[in-house]
Amino acid sequence: MTRLKYLRRTALLGLAAIIGALALVACSDDAQQQQVADAGDVPSATLAAVEERGELLCGVKQTQPLFGFREEDGSVVGFDIEFCKAIAAAVGDDIDVRYIDASDAATRFTLLASAQIDVLIRTTTITASRDADLKVDFAQTTFFTGQGFAVHADSGISSTADMNGATICVQTGTTTEQNLADHFTDLGYSYTPLGGTSPEIQEAFLQRRCDVFTADQSDLASRVSNFDNPANYRVLGQIISKEPLAPGVRDNDSEWKDVVNWVVHGLIAAEEMGITSGNVGAMAANPPNTTVARLLGVAFEGGEVANLGFGVDPQFIQRAIAAVGNYGEIYARTVGDAVPRACTLNALAIDDSVDCPAGTGGIQYAMPYR
Amino acid sequence: MAITERPSSLPPAAPTPPWHRRSVRNQLFQGAYLIATALVIVYVINALNLREFGFGFLGDPAGFAVPNQWLIDYDGVTNSRFVMYLVAIWASIRVMLVAIAFATIIGVLVGVARLSSNWLLARMAMLFVEIFRNTPLLVQIVLWYAILIVAIPPIGEVFNIGNAYYLSNRGIAIPWPVPDPGWWNAANWLVWVWVALLAAAGGAAWWVRRGRIARERDTGQPHYPNRWAFSLFAVAALVTFIALGAPVSIDKPIIEGTHYLEGMIITPEFAALVLGLSAYTASFIAEIVRAGIQALPTGQSEAANAIGLTGYQRLTVIILPQALRQIIPSITNQYLNINKNSSLASAVLFADLFFVAGVFQNKTGRALEMFVLIIVTYMLISLLISAVMNVINARVTTHRV
Repeated sequence: MTRLKYLRRTALLGLAAIIGALALVACSDDAQQQQVADAGDVPSATLAAVEERGELLCGVKQTQPLFGFREEDGSVVGFDIEFCKAIAAAVGDDIDVRYIDASDAATRFTLLASAQIDVLIRTTTITASRDADLKVDFAQTTFFTGQGFAVHADSGISSTADMNGATICVQTGTTTEQNLADHFTDLGYSYTPLGGTSPEIQEAFLQRRCDVFTADQSDLASRVSNFDNPANYRVLGQIISKEPLAPGVRDNDSEWKDVVNWVVHGLIAAEEMGITSGNVGAMAANPPNTTVARLLGVAFEGGEVANLGFGVDPQFIQRAIAAVGNYGEIYARTVGDAVPRACTLNALAIDDSVDCPAGTGGIQYAMPYR
Repeated sequence: MAITERPSSLPPAAPTPPWHRRSVRNQLFQGAYLIATALVIVYVINALNLREFGFGFLGDPAGFAVPNQWLIDYDGVTNSRFVMYLVAIWASIRVMLVAIAFATIIGVLVGVARLSSNWLLARMAMLFVEIFRNTPLLVQIVLWYAILIVAIPPIGEVFNIGNAYYLSNRGIAIPWPVPDPGWWNAANWLVWVWVALLAAAGGAAWWVRRGRIARERDTGQPHYPNRWAFSLFAVAALVTFIALGAPVSIDKPIIEGTHYLEGMIITPEFAALVLGLSAYTASFIAEIVRAGIQALPTGQSEAANAIGLTGYQRLTVIILPQALRQIIPSITNQYLNINKNSSLASAVLFADLFFVAGVFQNKTGRALEMFVLIIVTYMLISLLISAVMNVINARVTTHRV
């Protein structure tokens, strides 16, 4: 065969292969669209995956004391961690939790979108753009806070009014970064941002590379309480934004979102009804009223068990309470006095001097479980 | 041919199956390869769901800020992501340019020092090379940064030299010439006078250079054409500039509160990145320079010694011009490495293009678009560096020896 003929035949073969490939793309596109159309009817992929795996893949932060922190012995502890345990217990008694490190704010949503985690519980703020762009759905808020500022006590800074020209440490890829830019634009001030991961910017702040450390106020309070000399630092009272922190799940999996959502509501409701990890057994055996019976998924005085149909059995909230206790117990055990609870409930009062009046009741309450 | 002719007593040979023919086998393999490649492409395209692919989101406001870069003022709240990306590219390019300059100077000096007959100097050069090329660059950069922000005092205890030079962990601030905007505009006729004078000086310098080249050729004596031409032009530019009123003010940095104002500020992040890239790359360049020099026949050095050149003349007139032919292609690779390695910037909180692109990706979920953009950007910068180095290489290899 001559060289030319040989080349021509090879080229033809190549062309045929490419045309075949394109045809395949077209076909599988149709198949994919079909799949999307059917998605409404299929049961939750995530819930089924968790049940089959026997393990909940919980994306958590491991660098923030009180919320999600890896201890020296390798265990992960904190406020967010308790909700991982609660959700796993709600799915089933035999479900273990595997903590996946989602400490890097910049990659947390990628972990969720690529199904490397089932749920993201990592001090993540609900925002519209995240909901729209990042293939994430948010469940009920677990923690209300706002963006605050920590400074060195001897810096003489008492609010953002003193921060013109300041160098400000801010965690990259967070809502904080954007609030900061907006706030300083409104003030007409200039500033130099120093962005990085939270351990990096914390070190920069301690070395006075930046004047101010900005983050969620609850985050700052917990960090400062862990510094060598907490008295040398001050968390300002000022809050410049609302930061409702909530668990995130993948878009378009409403059944799984419902489970996560109602576990959070259930734990808050349990506190409102006085159900604790200590008395949940007794309450389930002998519920004082229909509301408690419905929440715990048990029959009231020989009646029917109300099954609201979340794809899990009706006792799922009962199991969650038995595992970690109610919302108040979780708060007291993990965050405790480091962030007074009244303050966390007060984030709607955005002004220069939120002084956290005790016993205001706040904005955290459970949606009715009925 | 007779030798391949079969004896007529044997039965006729069975026909060869087609797959025994090399051309058929080759086509089968190539066909299989093409189909496999096509299937992989199909799979990837499907997995990526390219229907949403697009770069429109770059037109939206960035919504956050990065430190301002020298010569560029912008604000992240109203400016688009695209503008911010350009700012970040400029930040990366500044790092690369400074690191390339430092790495080359340090690399050549260390490379020459390694061949020195001075035992101490040669050993110190060797130590430098072995330390910096045998440890990870990321570790070096992070270490430089830690040293810089811990060892240098905070701004409250700033080193102040004559109220003009400052050193603190906010950075080094030094006076910097700033052109007077009142003078520097196209409506001012003095600007055009200066431009005309510069053109005249350039012409004169070129004429002098030509004359000196000719004389060099005729007499065989050195007449330093480039040195003369450059000095002439520089002196003329400076003198005419001063004569027209020297419309440049020296901006002295001042400290206001906890930050510098005015002047040129070199941040610890920038410094750590440049130090890390320069030292690391210099260790490789030093070895390239040493190899380039050692590849020359020893007769070159001996001949230079025989005609009585000094050590410095031997190096600059005989050795380096020849060694450069070996050196430049390898050094180009090192410059390309500086380009790529500069993406380690975010380890020291420096907002380079990779850092900013990462934030965009995080905020928009456009991972694929951003990675395409990042790859294309680095590739363009690399191709640019290669193009420049090819021109230099072409000049060096055609240089008369």
